[in-house]
Amino acid sequence: MGEQAVGLLRKLGYTNLRHYVGGMSDWVEHGGAVEKIDAPVQITTPRVSVNRETKNGLSCLELVADLPLDRLIGVWVGMIVAFGLVYWLAGLGMGWGLHVGSTEVKSDLDGFGTAMYFSFVTALSIGYGDVIPVGPLRILAVGEGIAGLLIFGCVISKLVSRRQEELTQEIHRTTFEDRLDRVRTNLHLVFSDLGAVQQLQAEQGALPDQVLRRLESTVRVFRGELQTIHDLLYRSHVEPDEETLESILANLVVCLQSLVELNSSLPARAEQSVSLSTGLKSVSALANEICGECVPRVYAPALKESMDQIQELARKLI
Amino acid sequence: MAKPQAQSSEIATIARQELASRLQERALVILNVTPKESYADGHIPGSISLPVVDIESKARLLISNLDQEIAVYCAGPT
Repeated sequence: MGEQAVGLLRKLGYTNLRHYVGGMSDWVEHGGAVEKIDAPVQITTPRVSVNRETKNGLSCLELVADLPLDRLIGVWVGMIVAFGLVYWLAGLGMGWGLHVGSTEVKSDLDGFGTAMYFSFVTALSIGYGDVIPVGPLRILAVGEGIAGLLIFGCVISKLVSRRQEELTQEIHRTTFEDRLDRVRTNLHLVFSDLGAVQQLQAEQGALPDQVLRRLESTVRVFRGELQTIHDLLYRSHVEPDEETLESILANLVVCLQSLVELNSSLPARAEQSVSLSTGLKSVSALANEICGECVPRVYAPALKESMDQIQELARKLI
Repeated sequence: MAKPQAQSSEIATIARQELASRLQERALVILNVTPKESYADGHIPGSISLPVVDIESKARLLISNLDQEIAVYCAGPT
């Protein structure tokens, strides 16, 4: 696989390629240090908060529909039992109780069973008609029928959309992870590129045009990644776990430091190309907005500290 | 920057000892071409991930400089 990779890279024009034939197995065998990426980023379900206007009685129903599935079933069963109790107690002397044929259902243990049975049959809108409500109980029974159907509908729709929700979540997670991965790799490259430029400068004093152009493109890549991190901190509704964020911020700090150092020895602003100076300006503007206090969420002190450091470096860059 | 280029089809290799001594060096990019999962499982410190299947689409994005010294490795000698 390694040789194939080298072949592909060579085809793309890379010239300075070397193959470490032993690969990972040889490396591990001889006690080389190994770095790992820990378990995938844990991301909590993106909570999309719907702007809900309180519109008459429907808001109450939406409140119920937002409950998780098990709670929803609980509410449904609870409601049926509560209605059953009312049917049962209504038989206490008032003569409004349930009737089987023309005989009234009494408020005893036997009657309790009948009331519960009637309640379930009504809520499920089966309506056998063997037990019938009398008087005001009829209104109650119709109400129960409606409520029972609505809640049961919610249960069914929850069940059906469950898979769909899982899929969406999975898609969110993978794109998010991919993006973080890209940010990390690119920051690494920016860092190594900046280092290379710095080294060249140390060796040769002034920077040749070619190197300046390369620096331009590096700054552009850096700007892009910085934008992504900025978005991540300000807009993203998925929150990266702190460990990942910490490593990204640490990388960012190192890159910025390197850039600040380099910037102080670059030719004066007037002599810089437009692209380089605008690139540096926007890098500094973006980084200036990253600090512990100005981002919308609250993070651990260590993270805040590196964010503050980023802001400080951004100010030095101007 | 014209360098005489060895256009042989032979692949230059890098020994473990040299690689190990240059891990910190920024001038050397160490490229892990195994799939993402095995990269996550363990890789040489400082190496970056570029699975073989992504080389054609992503290499130029990751490494813009064609003269960049790159050490490539995968899972094992096969």
